[in-house]
Amino acid sequence: MQNLQFGPVFAHSDAFIDGVISTLVLAALSIFFGTMIGLLGAIGRSYGPRILSAPIGAYVEIIRNTPLLIQLYFVFFTLPLVGIKLSSNWAAIVALSIHLGAYAIEIIRAGIDSIPQGQIEAAKSLGLRPYRIVRHVIVVPALKAVYPSLTAQFILQIMGTSIVGAIAAEELTAIANNLVMQTFRSFEIYIVIAVIYFVIVQSASLLFAGIGRLLFQWKA
Amino acid sequence: MSLRDFGPNEFMFLIAAARWTILLALVTFAGGGAIGIFIAALRIAPSRPLRWLAIAYIQFFMGTPILIQLFMAYYGSSLLGFRPDPWTAAAVTFCINAGAFFGEIFRGAIEAVPRGQWESAKSLGLGFLKTLRLVILPQALQLMVPPTVGLMVQIVKTTSVASLIGLNELTRAAIKVNTVTFEPFMVFGTVAIIYFALCWPLSLYATRLEKRGNGKIQAKVKLPRLMPAS
Amino acid sequence: MRYQLPFVTLASVAALIFALVGLPTVTKAQSVNDIISRGKLIVAIDTTTPPYGFLDEKLEPTGFDIDVAKKMGEALGVPVEFVTVTSPGRIPSLMTGQVDAVISIFSITPQRAIQVDYSNPYAGQSAVVIAPTGTQIASHEDLVGKKVGVTRGTAEDGILTAASEKLPGIEMLRFDDYSSLLQAMVSGQIDAMGGGDYGEIYLKKAQGGDAFEQKYPLKTYYFGIGVAKDNHNLRQWINTWLLGMKSDGSLEDLSMQYRGQPLPALPVF
Repeated sequence: MQNLQFGPVFAHSDAFIDGVISTLVLAALSIFFGTMIGLLGAIGRSYGPRILSAPIGAYVEIIRNTPLLIQLYFVFFTLPLVGIKLSSNWAAIVALSIHLGAYAIEIIRAGIDSIPQGQIEAAKSLGLRPYRIVRHVIVVPALKAVYPSLTAQFILQIMGTSIVGAIAAEELTAIANNLVMQTFRSFEIYIVIAVIYFVIVQSASLLFAGIGRLLFQWKA
Repeated sequence: MSLRDFGPNEFMFLIAAARWTILLALVTFAGGGAIGIFIAALRIAPSRPLRWLAIAYIQFFMGTPILIQLFMAYYGSSLLGFRPDPWTAAAVTFCINAGAFFGEIFRGAIEAVPRGQWESAKSLGLGFLKTLRLVILPQALQLMVPPTVGLMVQIVKTTSVASLIGLNELTRAAIKVNTVTFEPFMVFGTVAIIYFALCWPLSLYATRLEKRGNGKIQAKVKLPRLMPAS
Repeated sequence: MRYQLPFVTLASVAALIFALVGLPTVTKAQSVNDIISRGKLIVAIDTTTPPYGFLDEKLEPTGFDIDVAKKMGEALGVPVEFVTVTSPGRIPSLMTGQVDAVISIFSITPQRAIQVDYSNPYAGQSAVVIAPTGTQIASHEDLVGKKVGVTRGTAEDGILTAASEKLPGIEMLRFDDYSSLLQAMVSGQIDAMGGGDYGEIYLKKAQGGDAFEQKYPLKTYYFGIGVAKDNHNLRQWINTWLLGMKSDGSLEDLSMQYRGQPLPALPVF
């Protein structure tokens, strides 16, 4: 009985592939939305009207000091009370994006703070329009400065998707749990998905490093 | 007998359940810290195979979700003859997982101590472990503190994941209360506030420590960017 | 010397806490005499499965399963210690020797019986499809285009998943626990759910008048008391005790109290 049996596990390789795709989609969408929140929030906090500063700060602190799992339950179970019903997968994407957004704001803000004020003054005196200043003098150099921290957070986001099965979203871990219930081969299944996550995470690290090099000539 | 409102009893029940969250976080801090010291020592050991071993450990535990590690420990380990209860499975998994993160923090701090000190210790005839203990660690300790406090915040939050293997901590208590009240806003709102009350002071403290350290040797410390997902 | 302090402190704190938490003590299956001489009966329950197991006003475990466990303790003359588990955690709790018995809506299936032993059924119920009163659902076909929630790995999951494979358009949502499933139904996140035939009682109050009802039955299944594999001594005692519980009407009373309906005919094996 104590033998490893991977046969029943690989018989379900289609399910694993579906799971990987769902995990990647969840991660990609929430990374996109989360980074957008991060950019807007960081610019809003550093350069926006003062009135924005407190709510953005509160958002960042609340999200960074409460567990993702509670945030998931909150989005899925309490938003319907105000009439917003999201499917499990969308609720997961919303919660994950809000989660990443808070971290992204802090990370990008650190990048913005690292830009010397003189650089912005110089751009102004050259007559650059505000949009161009924000884009070329603030956002791009700030992202460049914090790119490694930001992508590290993206990696965490990929791993964070593993808990969204708690609100019935379908991804790699949830699909693995379904299979455990059917086959009782828990050890083999969890080993396989641990390896899959490991490969995803390592590939994503390489991919992010490659993108970084292309965009910012950033050395890994 | 069935449904009722979320009242003071339910509130107190959740507050009381936080003690298990705190206990698991403390166990993780102590156990993970001890493992972290060991991993950091291996990571900078003079022998290459030892360093590889430490790298593999760190890569595996930082590069796979803690939920999967928990499932492996709790459901999967019976195949290896271990049959842990949820507490043991959670405590062991969190310690081993946090060990990788602590290891990286400690290594970052140790490597921030100038190389020259290793050489001078060597010329004084001190061995690797003695140099580490008597010369390097005392200086590195100050550098470790801010990221360690930051990691504690992550640990407290991550313990919520243990509810998914049935550990009776704060999040699992919330699920139980919600089963009889169906007031998710009150239940999860209260629980969010409790987590916030545990984490925010730590976060503020970590930020203060970082700021205080800025400009000193601290600035040079390359600490791990990865913190556990929670 | 001073600098060794952190090491020593850390290591001793670790050792202390591990000692407090308790390393796994793998105990072997407890016979009836072992339980009596130990002076307590340890039972795995789940307090997220009303009306079988949930928390009362004092936040103490209560429900049909909990009372069955208490009566079992009374019959043995020992107090009962409860260990709460999740549905997937029930089998591990027996295999680790952490508990003597599982009394937690533990339906008897041949797959599970490979890993644990079951007593004769002490309760039974139908898995049914439950949905809001206003929704017209009478068969699997009516679930097409709807979101159907279940608890992962339950009998309902198996039956409805099979249906969804035949009838594309049934969207299955699998929750890790019954509580989240109920909450999803109340929140309207799912259109229908597979669950026990008592489920709608709990859903009724929750949504202020918007009632839920049973739509159609899926399967009848029976709950047994789980014991460790080959613990014949305890299993035989439980079966003997259950015979008395059935014949003197105590089980029936508990069913009326918590389930609001009589027990179905309980087979014996």
